[in-house]
Amino acid sequence: MNIIETSQLTKYYGKNRGIINVNLKITEGEVFGFIGPNGAGKSTTIRTLLNFIHPTSGIAKIFGMDCTKESESIKKEIGYLPAEINYYDDMTVSDLLEYSSKFYEGDFDARTKELCNIFEVEKNKKIEELSSGNKKKTALVQALLHRPKLLILDEPTNGLDPLMQQKFFEVLKNENKNGTTIFFSSHILSEVQKMCSKVAIIREGKILKIETIDNLRASNYKKVTVEFDSAEMADEYKAEGMTSKKTRGSQAYFLYRGPVEKLVASLYRVKIKNLNIQEPELEEIFMHYYAKEEE
Amino acid sequence: MLIFLRELKRNRKAFVIWILILAGFNAMMFAFFPSLSGEAQKIKDLMDVYPDSMKSAFGLDRLDMSTIMGFYGIENYLFIALLGSIYAMLLGAGILSKEESDGTIEFLLSKPVTRNKIVTGKALCVLFYILLFNIIMTSANFIFFEIFKKEAYSIKAFVLVSVGPLLLHLTFSAIGFFISMFIVKAKAIYPIAIGAVMGAYLISIVSSISEKAEALKYITPFKYVDASELIIEEKIRIVYLAIIFFVITASITASYVIYNKKDITI
Repeated sequence: MNIIETSQLTKYYGKNRGIINVNLKITEGEVFGFIGPNGAGKSTTIRTLLNFIHPTSGIAKIFGMDCTKESESIKKEIGYLPAEINYYDDMTVSDLLEYSSKFYEGDFDARTKELCNIFEVEKNKKIEELSSGNKKKTALVQALLHRPKLLILDEPTNGLDPLMQQKFFEVLKNENKNGTTIFFSSHILSEVQKMCSKVAIIREGKILKIETIDNLRASNYKKVTVEFDSAEMADEYKAEGMTSKKTRGSQAYFLYRGPVEKLVASLYRVKIKNLNIQEPELEEIFMHYYAKEEE
Repeated sequence: MLIFLRELKRNRKAFVIWILILAGFNAMMFAFFPSLSGEAQKIKDLMDVYPDSMKSAFGLDRLDMSTIMGFYGIENYLFIALLGSIYAMLLGAGILSKEESDGTIEFLLSKPVTRNKIVTGKALCVLFYILLFNIIMTSANFIFFEIFKKEAYSIKAFVLVSVGPLLLHLTFSAIGFFISMFIVKAKAIYPIAIGAVMGAYLISIVSSISEKAEALKYITPFKYVDASELIIEEKIRIVYLAIIFFVITASITASYVIYNKKDITI
């Protein structure tokens, strides 16, 4: 069954573009990455799925139910983590978690306690006293406590320290193992690569590509900076899979596509002072896809 | 029910502050009655220098300051009606829009709850506090009337001067609720609520001072429940009741419709 399905989903804010003809299919148990730069339409898509906003045209369905008409039933099984956490300033963390759990049927005390322990959430603190990281952690507990079938995460790691991110990913993997489908929206590629099996790339409101992570990685290139012993060496250096080479003095910058060990092996034969291999920025991957599209 | 209870708690503090201050003021003004009623004739002579239209605007021409009912109609009624209306409108205009201006609506809308239930829970909370406000004020008034009365007063008039402010408060809160569909910024709520209530009051004064502006009385709810009319004539005109009923029903119905259609982005 498709957990999320949209067809030709379009949203305009007046004349401003939100999203245009977005088609997504997310099957049960999938961890689906939704990636794009800020302002590309990620949040618009999520807000439409959650019925915060109404689509201009097209259809969105979750669990086979219409997102506009059957939103209440859909939300019984959804956990949502917003990009920016805004909670009631008169509440303590435990007030908020209690309020949140009362919207669902069942007893979630033990589960809440467990999650609070994992994420080291201080339950007695007032919401307004929390740092943004701690707010995020509270929001995570809130999104997970009712054991939703679908998790919708909008920039989930924003504000979490690396250690907490690690824990978060572990919890997500565990939830996913138990059958939870995850919709993971982010502008950080490495994060999505770590978690997801499939990604949709969105730019300027349109889906550029839906691709498995394996394919994406294979077509992926690295940004390489090498500092050689001399300028001549920098000029002369060549390697298979190297493109867009530029030099400045003894430094060479180029893009590399292929196995990293081959590159390192070829550099091993010449004298180098420094080597820096970077993942390309998301923007650059888009440029890459854009260039492909226009061909 | 969940949202209603949550709102009761959230708005409790503001309610307690308003009711304490207004009930305190009310009691203080009653305390002046024994001394002022003895001087009623002097005050009346003093007031005679003012033009008749001015006196009628404040009900001085028809109400007798030496009776508890007349005194209440001139002194206390206005400020319960006026300040209570400001409270009611702030409450009505803020209760739903606060979720949007604070961004907490994202939390609420991600829960399994329809927008209708959100509107209902919030509207019921407004109704609850306005009723409680008026019940407390009326009970206090009854006690003060019994303490200070010199002769019997009309119970019918007492009921009317108690219902009058309630109708005003309901009207202003419903209008506030409706306005908050469009204006959600917390900063804008205060000037709008205070401006609307004071504006309506000023219009009611103008409409009684100037004969040319008499038609204005239909657009200001303060005129619908004018103290001297309630006390002397012991009735609220049907046409006014109908307008109040219409305004409240229309505001609330429109709020439901608009809120369901609204795009909520924070």
